Amino acid sequence: MSGLTTQTVPRVKSQGQKRSIVGRALEALLTQRVVLLAVLIVLVVAVMTVLDAAGALSGSYNSDYLAAALINAVPLAMLGLAQLGVILSGRGGIDLSVGSMVSVTGIAFGMSYGLWGWSLPVAMIFAVVLGGVLGGINGGLVAFVGFPPLIATLATFYAYRSIALVWSGQKPVNSTEIQSFYSAAKAIELPVIGSYLPLVPLGIFTFLIPVVIVVWVLLNKTTFGRRIYALGTNDTAASWAGINVRPNRFAVYVLSGVISGLVGVVTVAQFASARPDAGTSGNGMALPAITIAVLGGVAITGGIGRVSGVVLATILIVWLNAGILLAFPGNDGVQVQLLALGLVLVFASLLNGLTKRKYGGI
Amino acid sequence: MTTVTRESPAAPIAKRILPPPVTGQELVLVGVIVVLWVLLGIFTPSFLSPSSIQPLLVSVAPIALIGVGMTFIIITAGIDVSVGGAIALCAVVTAKLLVNFDVPLIVAVAVSMLLGVVLGLINGTLIAYGRVHAIIITFGTANIFQFFALRVFGSSTVNGIPSTLDVFGRGEAGRTLGVPHSFAITLVIVVLAWWYLRNTAGGRHLFAIGGNANAARLAGVRVQPRVVLAYAVTGALVGLGACFFIASGTSTLDQGVGAGRELAVIAAVVIGGTSILGGRGSVIGTLLGAILVQTVNSGVTQLGWPSQLANLFVGIFIIIAVGTDLLRERTRRSRA
Amino acid sequence: MSNTAAEQATAVPRVVLTGIVKTYGGVRAIRNADLSVAPGSVHALVGENGAGKSTLIKILAGAERADAGSLQFNGEPVSIGSTTDAIGLGVQTVYQEPQLFPELSVAENVFVGRELRKGVRVDWAGQAEQMSSLLETVGLDTDIATRTVGALSIAQQQQVSIAKALAGEARVLILDEPSAILTDAEIDVLFAVIHRLTATGVSVIYISHRLDELFRIADVVTVMRDGETIATRPIGDLTVREIAELMVGGALAESRTDVEATRGDVVLDLEGLTLQGFFSDVSFRVRAGEIVGLYGLIGSGAGEIASTIYGMQRPTGGRMLIHGSPALFHRPSSAKKRGIHLLPANRSAQGSFSFQSIAFNITIGELQLLSRIRGWVERRIERDIARDFISRLSVKTPSERQPISAMSGGNAQKVVLARQLVNRPQLLVLVEPTQGVDVGAKEEIHRIIDDLASEGTAVLVVTSDLGEVLRISDRILVVRSGEIAHEFTADATQVEILAAAAGETHESGENP
Repeated sequence: MSGLTTQTVPRVKSQGQKRSIVGRALEALLTQRVVLLAVLIVLVVAVMTVLDAAGALSGSYNSDYLAAALINAVPLAMLGLAQLGVILSGRGGIDLSVGSMVSVTGIAFGMSYGLWGWSLPVAMIFAVVLGGVLGGINGGLVAFVGFPPLIATLATFYAYRSIALVWSGQKPVNSTEIQSFYSAAKAIELPVIGSYLPLVPLGIFTFLIPVVIVVWVLLNKTTFGRRIYALGTNDTAASWAGINVRPNRFAVYVLSGVISGLVGVVTVAQFASARPDAGTSGNGMALPAITIAVLGGVAITGGIGRVSGVVLATILIVWLNAGILLAFPGNDGVQVQLLALGLVLVFASLLNGLTKRKYGGI
Repeated sequence: MTTVTRESPAAPIAKRILPPPVTGQELVLVGVIVVLWVLLGIFTPSFLSPSSIQPLLVSVAPIALIGVGMTFIIITAGIDVSVGGAIALCAVVTAKLLVNFDVPLIVAVAVSMLLGVVLGLINGTLIAYGRVHAIIITFGTANIFQFFALRVFGSSTVNGIPSTLDVFGRGEAGRTLGVPHSFAITLVIVVLAWWYLRNTAGGRHLFAIGGNANAARLAGVRVQPRVVLAYAVTGALVGLGACFFIASGTSTLDQGVGAGRELAVIAAVVIGGTSILGGRGSVIGTLLGAILVQTVNSGVTQLGWPSQLANLFVGIFIIIAVGTDLLRERTRRSRA
Repeated sequence: MSNTAAEQATAVPRVVLTGIVKTYGGVRAIRNADLSVAPGSVHALVGENGAGKSTLIKILAGAERADAGSLQFNGEPVSIGSTTDAIGLGVQTVYQEPQLFPELSVAENVFVGRELRKGVRVDWAGQAEQMSSLLETVGLDTDIATRTVGALSIAQQQQVSIAKALAGEARVLILDEPSAILTDAEIDVLFAVIHRLTATGVSVIYISHRLDELFRIADVVTVMRDGETIATRPIGDLTVREIAELMVGGALAESRTDVEATRGDVVLDLEGLTLQGFFSDVSFRVRAGEIVGLYGLIGSGAGEIASTIYGMQRPTGGRMLIHGSPALFHRPSSAKKRGIHLLPANRSAQGSFSFQSIAFNITIGELQLLSRIRGWVERRIERDIARDFISRLSVKTPSERQPISAMSGGNAQKVVLARQLVNRPQLLVLVEPTQGVDVGAKEEIHRIIDDLASEGTAVLVVTSDLGEVLRISDRILVVRSGEIAHEFTADATQVEILAAAAGETHESGENP
C-alpha cells in the first residue's frame, strides 16, 4: 500500500502558504506547546492583575508576590524534569516513586548533615548518590527485568516511603545545622541589578536553574539525549540503529533518582527540617510532577517533550495557584488549586489528542 | 502443528473450555497467606483471635471491593487513579446526608453508589471516546473529584455521623455469626464478578479488549461501551466502598478518607496476578491480594514493629508477584 | 484434486470478479482483473510483488472498494462495501499476522464476538460441541481448545485463525501466504486441512510465492502481472517454469553487466553459519566492491541471515570472518564498530523515528561524529551532515528539520539509507531496500548502491524483488528453506532464479 501512496506532499508546508494569519496562529498555538503556555501565562497574569486592580484579590498580585511564589516552582519543576526524562524514554515510562525518593534522600541528608556532623557538600552528595541508587533500582527493574514502569515504581513508592518513615522513626529530623540551612531557601537580592528587581528565592538559583540547564544540555546537546529521544520514539528502530536500549533506559531512571535527591535537599531547606513524609504527604509529589510534564507537552507514549515546556508549565501552574490563593482566601484557595490543576490536565490531554489528529504531532 | 486428529469422531471437549477457575498464582497467594497467618499466630498469640481477624476483614472489604472494579478496568488495559478522590467525594456526600437529613441506610447507599457511577461515567467516557491515555485523564479527574469533596467538607471534618451505616462497621452491629457484613458483601460481589468475567460474553469481551483492542473491534466487540461500563462499575463499587469506609471509622469523617487508596487498590490488583498490560486478570486474585496487604499491615503492628514497615513488604510483594509473572512469561515465550 | 475439476467447471462459480479496476492516487494498482472461483476448489493466485494480488484480495474481503468492475456470489450480483458485508457473504480472510487474543483460550478466540448464548451466559457446552468438529477440521487436537493461544506455536495459531474463519461460516476462505511461516511438516498439516475444507464445499483462494507447493494443493492457478490477470489455467497444464514465465512475462530485466568492478579483498566470509529453526550451513563471501544479491521468498531465512550478520541474533553454529578475522556479534553496536551497517526491511517499524526530524533520522546511527568532544552534539555539524546527504541522495524536502513522517516512502527510505552511509561502512547489508518505494526513487536507490560498490564497499542485498536482485547484483544467491539453493551470475534470467527459489526441483523435471 505504501508504495502506491507515495505522492503525499508534506502537508504542513502546502497548507501554510495559503492560510490566513489567524489560521497559522491557531496552528502555532496548538502545535507549539511552548507558544500556548506562554499565551496562557500572559493571560493568567493579565486576568489576575485586572482582578487586583478591581480590588477583587485579598493581597496584591505584583512582581514581588510572583517572585516569591516561584519558591514553589523549585521542587515542582525539578521533579517535572525528572518525569520528562522518564516519560520520554517510552514504553509506558513513568516514575511514581519520586515523592518517596524525596522523602528518603531528605532524611539521609538531614541525618548526615544535621546529626552525624557531615559537611554540607558531603551530605548533599550522599543524598544525591542515594537518590541515584534508588532510581537505579527502578531502572534495573524496568530496563533489565522488564517490569512495566508503572508497577515497578508503584512498588518502590511503597518501599521507599516505608524506609523513610522507619529510618526516621516517623519523626522529622531536626537540628540547629538544619535550621540554619533554611537560609538556603530564603529570598535574595541579586547583586548589582537586584535593587531594580523583585526578590527571587535563592533556591531558584542554587537548585532549579542548574538542574534546568543540566537537563536541557543532556537532552539537547549530548548524544545521550539523542538516544533517549530515539528509543522513546521507536525502540525497535533504535536497536536496529545500533543503540543499546537497556542501559539508556536505565539511565533516565537513575537521573530521576538523582533529581529527586536534590529535591530532597531542597525540601529540607524549605521546611527547616527533614520530614519523612516530605514527598508523600497528601497527594504526594509524583502526581503534580506528572501533571506538569503532561501539561508541558510531554507525550505519555514517549519521544516527545521539551525542557522549555516543562518549565513554562510550572510557571503557569505556580502563578495560577498564587493568584487563586489571593482570589479565594484561606482554605478555599487550596481547594480551587486542585480544581484548576485537574481541569488544566484534562484540558491539556484532550488538546494533545486533538492536536495529534489534526496536525499529526504535538 | 503438533497433531493430526484421530479418525474417529472427536470426543466432545470437556465443558471446561476456559482456563482453570483458580490460577496457580492464586494458589500461591493462598499458600503465602496461610503461612503468614500461621507464623503470626505462633509469634503473636492474639493474631488468630476473632478480635484481630474481624477488623482485618473489615479493612480488607473496601479495598477488595473497589479492587473488583479496578480489575475490570486493568483487564481492558486501562487504569483509574482517581478512585481516591472519588471515595472522598462519595463518602463526604453520604456522610453529610446522614448528618443533615438522617436518611435511611438504603438511601445513603443508593446515593453513594449513584454518585460513584456518575464519576465512573465521566472517566469512562473521556477515556473511551476522548481517546486519551487513561492514567492521564484519571490523574486529572482525581484532582477535580478531590476538589468537590473538599468543598463539601467545607474545611472541617464531618462530625456526629449517625449509626445508620454501622451494619457495615467494626462493631457488633456489623457482624452476623462473627462474620463482618462488609466482608460478606464483598465476598458475594467477588463471586458475582468472577462468574461474570468467566461466563458471560460481556465479561470475556473485557479480556479480548485488553488483549488486542483492534482485533476485538474486527471481531464485532463493541469496544467503547464496554470500556465505559468497566469504569462505571468501578464507580458503583467506589460508592459502596465509601459507605464501608464511613462505617469502619468513628462518627467522624476526615478529609483524608480517600488519600492514597488508589495505590492500595492497584497494589492489591497487581499482587493478585492481574496484568497491568491488560488481557489477563482475576478478581479472586484481587481479593487475595487485598487480604495479603492487610495481613501484612496488621501483622507488622501486632509484632510490635514500626507500622510503616508494612509498606516495605507491600512493595516487595508487588515486585515478587509481578517478577515471577514476568519470569513465567519469559520461559513460556522461549519454549513456544 | 483435478479429478473433480470437470464437475467444478459445470457448477455455478462461488465467486466471480469481473473487470476490476483500482487506482490509488493516480497509480493503477489493478488495471483489469477477472477471477472466477468454483465451489470446493483451491484457486491459487500468484504474481510478483506489486502485481496486484493483495489489492484484489482486499477488494474481495471488503477492505478496499473497487473503482470499477462487478462481483457475483453464487451467480447473484452483490456489492461488498465493508468487511462486514464480506463476512456476511461468508468471505473470510486469514492474514499472515494472526488477529488473535494471546491470553484467551483457543475456543474463546474462535467464538469471540459471536458467542453462543444460553440466557445471559455463554453456552460453553454448545461452543465446545462446535469446537470439536472445528478443531478436527483444522487438524488440531481437541485438547488444545482450553490452552491459551499465546502458548501455541505460530503454526498452531494459524490453524486457530482458520478455525475462527470457519466458525464464521466461511464459504470462501482467503489464505494469504499461509505457508511462508511454516515448516515442511506443518505445511503437510495445512494441506490436509485445506483438502478437508474443500470436501465440504468451501472455496479456498490460496496466495503463495512457493510455486512448487501449488502442484500439491491447487486445482486452478491465476497469474497476475502488472495489475492484470493474464492467465487462468488448471494446474495440471503448467510447470513451475511455465508459471514463472507467465509471472515475469517477456520483459527482459536489466542486468548489472555494464559495471566494471574492481574487486578487493574478502570483507565478509561466512562458514557454515547456522541459526536453528531459520537457516543452516550458510557459506558465502562478499568482496570489497562487490554486490551480492541474496534472493529468497518470505520465510526463506534470507532476512534472518542478514540480521544474524548484524548481531541481532546469535547464531547456533558456524563462523563469520570480517576481513579474515573471526567476528560474531552480540549486538548491532558491536557489528557497527567493525564497519557493518544494515538497512532494515520494515521502514516504519525498524527504520524510521517517525516524528523526529530528517536530520535526527540521518545522524542517529553515528552520534559520535556530531562533535569532536565525546558525547556531545553540535547542531551545526548535524545540520551539515544532514544537508550533505539530502543533496547527495536527492532527498526531496524543503528543510532538514521536517519530520520524516511527512515524507513519501521513497524519500523516507533514502533518509534511512543515508543513516547507513554517514560513516562509510566496510560491509553494507540492505534488506528489501526498495520496498514500498516508487519507481523513480527505486532507480535512484539502485544507482546509490552501484556507486557505493564502485567506491569499494562490500554490499549484500537481501531482497524478494526479482527485478531488483538482477538489476544490482554481481552474483545472486538463492535462499530456499534456510539453505543456499543456487548461485547464479549476473546474466541469469528471471525465470531461472524464480524457479530455483520457488522449488523447481520438486516438480518440473527440468533440473540442470
